[in-house]
Amino acid sequence: MQNLYRQILLLVLIGFSIHLNAQKDSASQVLSTLDIQTAQLPKATTNDWKPGKSRFLLRGYAHSGLELTDEEFTFVGGSFNPLLIFRQSDRLLFEGELELELEGNELHLGLEYANMSYLLTKSLTFRAGKILIPFGTFIPNLHPAWINKFPTRPLGAGHDGILPGADIGLELRGAAYLGPVKTNYSLYAINGPQLNDGSLEAEEGGLLHYDIVPDNNKNKAVGGRIGFFPMSNSALEIGLSALYGKVGDKDSRYEDVAALLYAVDLSYVRNLPGISSVLDIKAQYSVTDVEEAEFPEPDELGEFHTFDNKSTTWFAQLSLRPAFVENKFIQNLEIAGRYSSLRTPEGAPWEVDQKQWEVGLNYWLDWRTLFKFSYRTISGEAGGHGGGAEEGGDAFFIHWAIGF
Amino acid sequence: MKKIPIVIGLFATITTAAIISSCATTSDMASLKSGAQLWGENCLRCHNAPSPETFSDTEWDVAIMHMRVRANLTEDEAVKIAEFLKTAN
Repeated sequence: MQNLYRQILLLVLIGFSIHLNAQKDSASQVLSTLDIQTAQLPKATTNDWKPGKSRFLLRGYAHSGLELTDEEFTFVGGSFNPLLIFRQSDRLLFEGELELELEGNELHLGLEYANMSYLLTKSLTFRAGKILIPFGTFIPNLHPAWINKFPTRPLGAGHDGILPGADIGLELRGAAYLGPVKTNYSLYAINGPQLNDGSLEAEEGGLLHYDIVPDNNKNKAVGGRIGFFPMSNSALEIGLSALYGKVGDKDSRYEDVAALLYAVDLSYVRNLPGISSVLDIKAQYSVTDVEEAEFPEPDELGEFHTFDNKSTTWFAQLSLRPAFVENKFIQNLEIAGRYSSLRTPEGAPWEVDQKQWEVGLNYWLDWRTLFKFSYRTISGEAGGHGGGAEEGGDAFFIHWAIGF
Repeated sequence: MKKIPIVIGLFATITTAAIISSCATTSDMASLKSGAQLWGENCLRCHNAPSPETFSDTEWDVAIMHMRVRANLTEDEAVKIAEFLKTAN
């Protein structure tokens, strides 16, 4: 009986051993097959590491500086604006710009814009998300610190100005040649500006506010810009912009109040061989026209007043850089001048009638890094309750800005 | 409202331009210009023309796509500028 047990045990051991060997052979076969397949692969070299279609790029800009006014002499923190760009494919692009800056002792984190772009055709792109509104030229194109020739902005183009900045919506944009003339165009629908009804602060009744979430009504504002390049070298661009929409709160007495904004902008950049320099001229004239309505009287409870709610602002700037002279130091210098004007409604609590002159001397360390030395003088009256008025009088600025 | 015709007129113009552009060739003038010329003309409109050595070829693909949207470049212009920058960097 004992022999029988031993024979059974021996048979089990032999069977188990055969099973293990079979597994080992199978594993060896797989490994050797992989070795053969690996050996058959082309040998990789550095040049063979081709980038994929999906790619990420970090860009943006930063600036800070020193400001001298009648009342203070202070360093200002400036801001850091990283721009995150992700190319998903040959047609799809995502981008978002953040703004980090010091306000008092606290960090202000803002989202300048964040959107996706899909290239529909050779000359048409669809964009969705929070976009820089293509209204005029300064805010969509010239506001980054390393592009703006001055540490400050033209009157009316600040964060609380009368000009639209960014908003959430959809956009079709692109460029094409119509015969010899190049054109660019944009058509968009956004949540739109919102009318301050003065219920919380009577001093701000009638002002338009931009970039506010959520929307205050079911109406969408629609707008567009078209630009023409009448010269064959694209030196001159003339742009026309408009934006229209209802701005009052839903179910309020201002529900049907609408606003029309329109602007004309100009850009002229050309080389002047006679003086080995590059001339750059920019200008923009903008109007904000809100339908007449009654707003609470600031000093008399229960009383209302009205005014012609139309604001205008414009600026013109010129810069000259002797970029083609032989002297390295001089070719990095740039002189600039800018005049801007802001006129908000007469009789409004936020009435402003200001003029601003700026002159500056810039020094470029490379194509995207510069020091700005500028002097600003402001004249006229400011209401002190928004509307894009500039606080403070004459000031001297030394700023540093870099694009990356 | 008196302003509505102005708005309608502007949008009609833009829409017409968009429709025409989608039908018309976009390479008439761009084909006559070199990548270097387009690089100078288009970049300088807002800022200094970038140095080609700023980015690698791979990075230029992303930067040019970004600028194609931002600066309203046609596809032909973007391709030529990208080729110039990659050749020169």
